Amino acid sequence: MKNKKSFDIKTAVTIFLFLLPSLLLFVSILIAPIAVSIYRSMFDWNGFSEGTFIGLANYKELFTNGSIKFMTSLKNSMLLAFFSVFVQLPFSLLLALLLGRKPKKDRAFLAIFFMPVLISTVVIGQLWLKIYNPDYGLLNRFLDAVGLGSWKHVWVGDVKTALGSIIVPTVWQYIGYHMLLMYAGVKGVSVDLREAAMLDGATKWQVDRYIVIPIIKPILRVSVIFAVTGSLKTYDLVRILTEGGPFQSTEVPSTLLENMLFLRNRYGMGSTISVMLIALCFAFALLITAAFKDKDE
Amino acid sequence: MKMKKLVSTLLAGVMTLSLAACGSSSAPAATADTGSATTETTTETAAETTETTTEAASTEASVESTSDEEPITLNMWCIATESDSNRHSYEAAIADMQEKYPNITFNWEAFENQSYKTKIKAAVSANEMPDIFFTWSCAFLGDFVEAGKVYCLDDAYQNYKSELPESMLGNSTYDGKHYGVPLTMNIVGLFANMDLLKEAGYTEIPGTYEDFIACCDALKAKGIIPFGCAGKETWCVTEYLESVIEKSVGADALNDIFLGRATWNNQDVADAVDTFQALVNNGYFDPSGIGLTNDEVKNNFMAGKYAFYMNGTWNCADFAANEEFLSKVQVGEFPVINADKASLGQVIGGPSDTLAVSASSPNAERAADYAFELGKLICHYGYLDGCGLPAWTPYGDTSSINPLTQTVADIVSKADKFVLFGDTAMNADSANTYLSYVDQVYGCLLDGKQFIEGLAKDIQ
Amino acid sequence: MGKNDIVNKVDENKTNPVMKVLMYAFLIFWAIVNIFPIYFMFTFSLKSNEEIFGKNIIGLPENWLWSNYTTALNTGSMGLYFVNSLIVTISAIAISLFAAMMATYAITRIRWKYSKLTNAFFMLGLTIPLQASIVPVYVVLSKLHWLNKYSTLIVPYSAFALSMSILICTGFMVEIPYALDEAARIDGCSLSKTFFVIILPLMKPAVSTVGVYSYLQCWNEFMFANVFISDSAHRTLPVGIKALSGQHTTDWGPIGAALVIATFPTLIFYIFLSGKIQESFIAGAVKG
Repeated sequence: MKNKKSFDIKTAVTIFLFLLPSLLLFVSILIAPIAVSIYRSMFDWNGFSEGTFIGLANYKELFTNGSIKFMTSLKNSMLLAFFSVFVQLPFSLLLALLLGRKPKKDRAFLAIFFMPVLISTVVIGQLWLKIYNPDYGLLNRFLDAVGLGSWKHVWVGDVKTALGSIIVPTVWQYIGYHMLLMYAGVKGVSVDLREAAMLDGATKWQVDRYIVIPIIKPILRVSVIFAVTGSLKTYDLVRILTEGGPFQSTEVPSTLLENMLFLRNRYGMGSTISVMLIALCFAFALLITAAFKDKDE
Repeated sequence: MKMKKLVSTLLAGVMTLSLAACGSSSAPAATADTGSATTETTTETAAETTETTTEAASTEASVESTSDEEPITLNMWCIATESDSNRHSYEAAIADMQEKYPNITFNWEAFENQSYKTKIKAAVSANEMPDIFFTWSCAFLGDFVEAGKVYCLDDAYQNYKSELPESMLGNSTYDGKHYGVPLTMNIVGLFANMDLLKEAGYTEIPGTYEDFIACCDALKAKGIIPFGCAGKETWCVTEYLESVIEKSVGADALNDIFLGRATWNNQDVADAVDTFQALVNNGYFDPSGIGLTNDEVKNNFMAGKYAFYMNGTWNCADFAANEEFLSKVQVGEFPVINADKASLGQVIGGPSDTLAVSASSPNAERAADYAFELGKLICHYGYLDGCGLPAWTPYGDTSSINPLTQTVADIVSKADKFVLFGDTAMNADSANTYLSYVDQVYGCLLDGKQFIEGLAKDIQ
Repeated sequence: MGKNDIVNKVDENKTNPVMKVLMYAFLIFWAIVNIFPIYFMFTFSLKSNEEIFGKNIIGLPENWLWSNYTTALNTGSMGLYFVNSLIVTISAIAISLFAAMMATYAITRIRWKYSKLTNAFFMLGLTIPLQASIVPVYVVLSKLHWLNKYSTLIVPYSAFALSMSILICTGFMVEIPYALDEAARIDGCSLSKTFFVIILPLMKPAVSTVGVYSYLQCWNEFMFANVFISDSAHRTLPVGIKALSGQHTTDWGPIGAALVIATFPTLIFYIFLSGKIQESFIAGAVKG
């Protein structure tokens, strides 16, 4: 395909035409607003009046003004990312591998395990609120019943337990999400390959460990990226379960962002947070990709 | 956080002369108030305007001949969703208006309270507001006014002066100009479950602070939790805290602080905050409250878990709708803590629910008139439904109003000073800073001294 | 099928029966944990506030309040919102899927200098928080007088689903042997003809996977729908459900009913389709 010049131009045009619909959508709806956000992040602006240009002062304030709680929010989403990667993903992988062995009713199991992802977060949130309720909640009642009454907590209202109360349902809800992604990969491992290994005397776990997992590595990488960027962007369950409280100890970047944009009327600072958030997500995505490459070599 | 009402002044019927203009740009006017001024009684006012709604509507319709005006369309956004207690009053008012103005095609949409705040702010940014929109008075509307997005209602107001006391416009007046049509108003009420109080040996809500504390102790001794308060929604905490501060330092002092005329650095406020914290530390508050939403707390109160529930008087309609509960519940005013500085008749609350007209509306002039008349009707029906107290002079037969709302109307008619809700009075950024400090006070992370010093530093 | 049988046979020979019981016990336990929210949602939708808040949080309703459904359907117009959501979601999935397939083709199957970079550029989309783009997009849409239409939501939704779709499509497309393209090219097919005739039909398995993940993004989206749509004729489910709560009073039963209306059709459709989806996975795998 690289013989003639006219050919190259034709190829370039084809490439361009094939990319055009995506580029149009992408640039107009996603990229342009980022540019606007970067511009707005240098203003002290409430969203409707005249703004004042203040350079990088918003960025400086974000990191120096403790009452904005940006560092707390970062710490919280990092913790969430940690649990996503090291608890949620292994669990998803385990399920995907088990289902990959074709137990009876594997389809039914697969469908059921994916269900929490399909259910609206409002329902999941309400359910967990009933679990955590300090008076009639299932968790406290259970602790009472097994004689661990002293472990009872106002789960979502106690600084010590509030973040954990968010992490547990978030990790749980999206196990199915990653499981389905990984399952696609596990199914992709050819039957012959498994069969050959089994005949060579490998156990199922050995097959999974030495054949399946290396093959689905690209999917694992995608899952890790999703888990980390998803954690940085968490929003729904935090709003429903704790509203960022108690004492703003469970704020995440997205809730701060919304507070700044629409509650506090600090549009400039809100834009600053979103720019930081995008930069962080992108940096992590690159880092994770790099980490997976290293291992391959 | 639910946006709350604020106030400057009085309830229709009883006149006070206070005019607290609040707003971002304008320096708020002095709150000159006194109860000794002209005091018309509610009965007189009601007697003057005994026509029924329909009569009123039809007479006015004939005065302003609308038939030769060209047909237009007006759009309105509000937060009276299907399950909102104000829904019925909007529907009834709009039905009346549509009958009266067949030439005006009126479209209205209702949005959920919290998400409406995002929506209306985005709409103001993009200049996409409808002709008439619901807003909260004071700082919320003030930001829009400052940006020049709201139509001035001074001209239109001239036609409604007799029915809408100017003092009710204080919260939507900026630089001396009126920008909002108030609907109903609400104050903070001390709701009490009389069955539980009886168990502790009380047949009415204690009138003095000493009695009140003794009552709380008696309740506690009986194993009854005195107060329910939703710590997950900080505005619920302010309902308690602001009342305690007001009854300790006095309405004027608190008003001055909220409106930025005085510094937070005030030892009396610090003492009041400590008083509030003593209530928390004495175990008067449900310890679970810190992890509950207001919906949960309110249901706990109705289920008989708490003796007292301090919250907005918009709850009256809900409590009254539950017959079994209505027989148990009473509403009163929080007792005075420091009689040297505060007195009964100083309450927290005022008109906040407001209609405004967008400056970009092609029919702003007619929209303004429409907003006034609609506001009057919504206020009227809302009052009859017990959703709040009227900002407009009430008319018609009001005897069917539920007993709770009538008690509140009585409290308001005796009240001489109103203090704006802090988070409504302050601009959005300060209000949220204030709320986060209140949150920390409730959680006992800060004491009174740290509270005043922190706020004095963080709010200019 | 024959191969699978052999594998199963081998499996059975090797599997320790205790392990097997444990595995099933675990799978069944996990299935119960995951079905519970559905039971909860269903019973929630038939209760009164009193039961929901404390009296009876997880039991069967004492009075089966079917009236919650009437409320949600009549006063809440959930039927209309459901149709709106369906139109918006399906269109957005279709557009993003098609755009993503084309882009993926250009990125993975045509060799050029900046294909990796372009791919990374599209992956940027995974990192963008929705909240940040509301106001800028809204201002543009309003200048174009492009509000209160289905397309007002369809276009942003397709854009936000794009990155994910490209990512998934890439996974599927690299599995297709390059020999196929080369053969087609030797036969004189142009690049675009190769795409439409050879590649696109082989990408069928990707459709259901991309569909599921794009669906997840669009169906429950609230922020854009709340701000961009102001007439209730075009309102979508999440906004409609939210509008069932009042400023100071909320009746939760009808909200539960509305959530059931919003979720159950999806669940049923999903269960019905899940066999198909799995087949597509397997089909995709066999290609490799």
